[in-house]
Amino acid sequence: MEGGEKKKEQTGKRSGKVKKGMPHVFGIRHLSPAGAYYVREYLDRICPDLVLIEGPADFTELLKDLGSEEVRPPVAVMAYTQKLPIRTILYPFALYSPEYQAILWAKEHGCRCQFCDLPSEVFLGLEEQRQERWRQAMATIQEEANSPEDVPKSEGILQEEDKESRTTYVYRRLDELSEDGDQETFWERTMEHARNEEGYRKGSAEFGRSLREFALGTGDASGKENAENLLREAYMQRVVAQAVKEGTAPEKIVIVTGAFHVEGFLGSGKAMTEREWKKLPRLEANKTLMPYSYFRLSERSGYGAGNRAPAYYELLWDGFCREEPDYAARRYLTVLAAYQREHGNLVSSAEIIEAMRLAFSLAKLHGGNLPVLRDLRDAAITCMGHGNFSEIALAVADTEIGTRIGSLPEGVSQTSIQSDFYRRLGELRLEKYKSVTAQDLSLDLREKLTVKSQKSAFLDLERSFFLHRLRVLGISFATIQKVNQERATWAELWQLRWTPEAEIQIVEAVLKGDTVEQAASFELRERTMNHTGIAKIAAVIEDAYACGMPTSMEYAIGALQSTAVDAVAVTEIAETAGRLSVVLQYGDIRRLNREPLIPILSQLFLRACLILAGECICDDGAAKMIAQAMTTLHEVAVNHDFLDGERWGQVLSEIAARDDLNTRLSGLAAAILLEAGQMDGEKLGCEVQRRLSKGIPAELGAGWFAGLSMKNHYALIARLNLWEKLSEYLVTLDDEEFKRALVFLRRAFADFTSEEKNQIAENLGEIWQVNPSQVSEALNGPVTGEDLDMLSGLDDFDFGDI
Amino acid sequence: MEQNMQRLPAEQLFQREIEALIANEKYSVPTGWQMSPKSVLTYICGGRAGDVEISPKYIGHKRLVEIAIATLVTDRALLLIGEPGTAKSWLSEHLTAAINGDSTRVIQGTAGTTEEQIRYSWNYAMLIANGPSKEAMIPSPIYRAMEQGKIARVEEISRCASEVQDALISILSEKRISVPELGVEIPARKGFSVIATANTRDKGVNEMSAALKRRFNIVVLPTPDSLEAEMDIVQTRMEQLSGSLDLNARLPEAEVVEKVCTIFRELRKGATLDGKQKLKATSGVLSTAEAISLLANSMALAGSFGDGVITDYDLAAGLQGAIVKEDEKDGKAWEEYLENIMKKRGSRWLSLYQECKELNR
Repeated sequence: MEGGEKKKEQTGKRSGKVKKGMPHVFGIRHLSPAGAYYVREYLDRICPDLVLIEGPADFTELLKDLGSEEVRPPVAVMAYTQKLPIRTILYPFALYSPEYQAILWAKEHGCRCQFCDLPSEVFLGLEEQRQERWRQAMATIQEEANSPEDVPKSEGILQEEDKESRTTYVYRRLDELSEDGDQETFWERTMEHARNEEGYRKGSAEFGRSLREFALGTGDASGKENAENLLREAYMQRVVAQAVKEGTAPEKIVIVTGAFHVEGFLGSGKAMTEREWKKLPRLEANKTLMPYSYFRLSERSGYGAGNRAPAYYELLWDGFCREEPDYAARRYLTVLAAYQREHGNLVSSAEIIEAMRLAFSLAKLHGGNLPVLRDLRDAAITCMGHGNFSEIALAVADTEIGTRIGSLPEGVSQTSIQSDFYRRLGELRLEKYKSVTAQDLSLDLREKLTVKSQKSAFLDLERSFFLHRLRVLGISFATIQKVNQERATWAELWQLRWTPEAEIQIVEAVLKGDTVEQAASFELRERTMNHTGIAKIAAVIEDAYACGMPTSMEYAIGALQSTAVDAVAVTEIAETAGRLSVVLQYGDIRRLNREPLIPILSQLFLRACLILAGECICDDGAAKMIAQAMTTLHEVAVNHDFLDGERWGQVLSEIAARDDLNTRLSGLAAAILLEAGQMDGEKLGCEVQRRLSKGIPAELGAGWFAGLSMKNHYALIARLNLWEKLSEYLVTLDDEEFKRALVFLRRAFADFTSEEKNQIAENLGEIWQVNPSQVSEALNGPVTGEDLDMLSGLDDFDFGDI
Repeated sequence: MEQNMQRLPAEQLFQREIEALIANEKYSVPTGWQMSPKSVLTYICGGRAGDVEISPKYIGHKRLVEIAIATLVTDRALLLIGEPGTAKSWLSEHLTAAINGDSTRVIQGTAGTTEEQIRYSWNYAMLIANGPSKEAMIPSPIYRAMEQGKIARVEEISRCASEVQDALISILSEKRISVPELGVEIPARKGFSVIATANTRDKGVNEMSAALKRRFNIVVLPTPDSLEAEMDIVQTRMEQLSGSLDLNARLPEAEVVEKVCTIFRELRKGATLDGKQKLKATSGVLSTAEAISLLANSMALAGSFGDGVITDYDLAAGLQGAIVKEDEKDGKAWEEYLENIMKKRGSRWLSLYQECKELNR
């Protein structure tokens, strides 16, 4: 094509005329109700043979399903890589997406329709390439950090990432310059209220042209964003050229594309050659259709063009279809008022009318005839919210964003695991939970004796299995809540909430298996194989048990057995034992064979008994973990009769009595024995005296006391002779020692509540023969100057290496 | 006479701007208004009219001004509420000055305001001598506004007793006043409206009834949202004020304004500007308006007793007065602020810190 001719064509385009022999281009903004309405009018006028739509070309195979009458938007087409890490690209469509309406039009009129952008595998390949380049840049920087004398090479790359992209810049400037201070509002006021198809088309083309002029800039067309845009246009040109070659007259082609690309289509860009096409990076990908939600649409307003208020935009679309331009305004305010009334706020019809008048008056102030969302919202705040946004915030969110989620007819090109998921939802009667508002579901896993069929008797159990499998797969559809009734192993409380993310997670799980069960089993096996210790395997066993998957459980038990032979730390044994114990305690409720667990648990427990005392020689940091292990092991011992409880008692007594162990742990052992009734008051008294005698360094004594108070505080408070001994101990100390002990005892009592501390003070008061009221007076009275002096004296106290 | 007035009404103070706006009118003017809504917006928020620069009267929150003006276009009454010193009365005065060229039809609400002051009262000498007649009647500002199709202002509406507030309800919904003594009913002409202001902070105020609130479009005026915005407001207002007050002192430097605004904002919010440190808030309101009067006060001190430049000593006196109200706690909070925050701010704040500390003993 010669330069002169090119120029002529461009000017021809700018005046709105389309030359013969050129395809028609309709520039849109994604998710634009006016665009959606006028694109249909435009197609009616042109009556093309082929409609090309901006979107990955390989999605064309999904068009048949997407255009199906049973599809309820919002839905999205999605491509995902076949290998980990999974990368995805997503194209959401709402009812008012011009692309979606164009697809429907093509289907209704029996016209051919294709997507014409770069195929998804190329998009994913480009993304991969970009990430790779970024990683390399990071590596270079790290290298440079080690050799500081070099001139940094990576600066250029970093700058490119940091610099605001031209498009973002243009949008930000638009924000600043438009009268409303916001390019969204600017767009709505100028474009969404366009009166006719020609106005919209020209306005949008002009918008895109200006945007392009700024974004591509003068000479600086080298940015990666621009490069990709030009690449895409070259490919789209190629698709058009191909269509023409195959015999479609160019003037019988309509291209529906983002306003930005209009100029690129008919301008100077050349079609991509076969060689260039071959050189593009690719990443193998699968495709699927998935339901989408308005909520997600409003969050992802970064996609193409913003859509902060999908439900409101749908009202705009309805208004177009009804040919009532002010429909959206009326509807918006009444829906908002209805929400307010439903939630107990008084809103009169007069207020709605006033809000309507104010909104129109605001629009007029900006030279518009119809209020835009911002006018409507501000009017609602002023007239219904008494000037405070907070009063109507919830109503606004509900009216603007809404809770709609899309749906697809059964069997429509979903992945196998999606179909399985929905089939199971149906079987388990969980369909009503497929909503974007979170709902609670409480399950009773016990057999229901009142129902006839086996299936419904265990419905809740089956549900639990299913939800646990989702949990294992990391699908956020269901999250388990804490059950308030302790040890009610038959009760489970779940919170269910469907989100597009959950759907994406389900799709991603297809790499692991074709059904939810298969995928979960794969995941559990994977985890067992990649374990990093017996506690992790025990966690897998617990999960497998919760999921009701005996094979996975057996597999994990086998792995546990072979690993448990190796030397393991007591803390890990305790954690493992704790998990296994939980599974055993469930009893028959999940109807799985737990027998194989018993010998393993006994083995582990015996091992723990043998090594625990030895491991108690440690510093305070490690003592914390061992203390937890000790508590867990004790619980395990109490809960299972088949374990050697006597040996456990001996171990504890040994730890409590030995002086060469960490005193905190000795204290804890004593506390456990005390709680179990294996140590009496007298013995405790002796022990206190021994541990807190004058010769022993104060920190050891206090550490022991801290260990003792780790268990039941009340059991300690109630034993008066303990406090007597403590009192005796305090009396024996000289001033310097007292100061030292004071600090440690203070730390030992830190976990006690103020109520408990008061009771201790009362105990001590009783020993010192002071009555309770005097004690409380002394404790709660104001701090005098003398006290302050004494306290500040402590500031100078030398704590040495503590 | 005009020279001796302590404060001229807005329409006289900014007469040149208003005339320029009217002369350069490009849009349609609503009935009863002297300029288009767009020009009113320019008058309030600043801009240009022909070759006359229009100074901004209300800075920040242009959208709220838009809502206020749009409300008045729909002939609905406007209620401006907010904390003290958020320029409610200021905005209401300028709105009426721009729309009607007359901001003087105003009822100043107090606990002693009676229903007659809202509707009409009588010249009792004439009433007794001649019986009820049009001549013996003293119309209220609202009455006059209805007759002329203009906007009346009601200041501090929440200070009026509730039965007085009630009198407004029927006026605002029926848009007419009946005078049974004369057997007539005065309908409001097009263009009539009411701008009321109310305070959200002061105690001992009569809560407005829901019925009355429903008659108004309510605009809540917030405190300035950033330090820069507040400094901007203070500086602009100081320039306007110093012209009319003859304070014999130089305008405060940007640094002084910044210090005052910083202290006010921090004590108001109960946290430092960077949000890193919490502090005790004082009981006073510490509004932007108070910052302005504090600075004017400091200028007066500097002009009358100093060399015309605000020193830290002048500032400290002003701060002490503004921050420590009668409450003993305020003194404590102020001391804490001085010790914990200001002392640690470095040399730029040091001398102010010392002066304040000296005064707060």
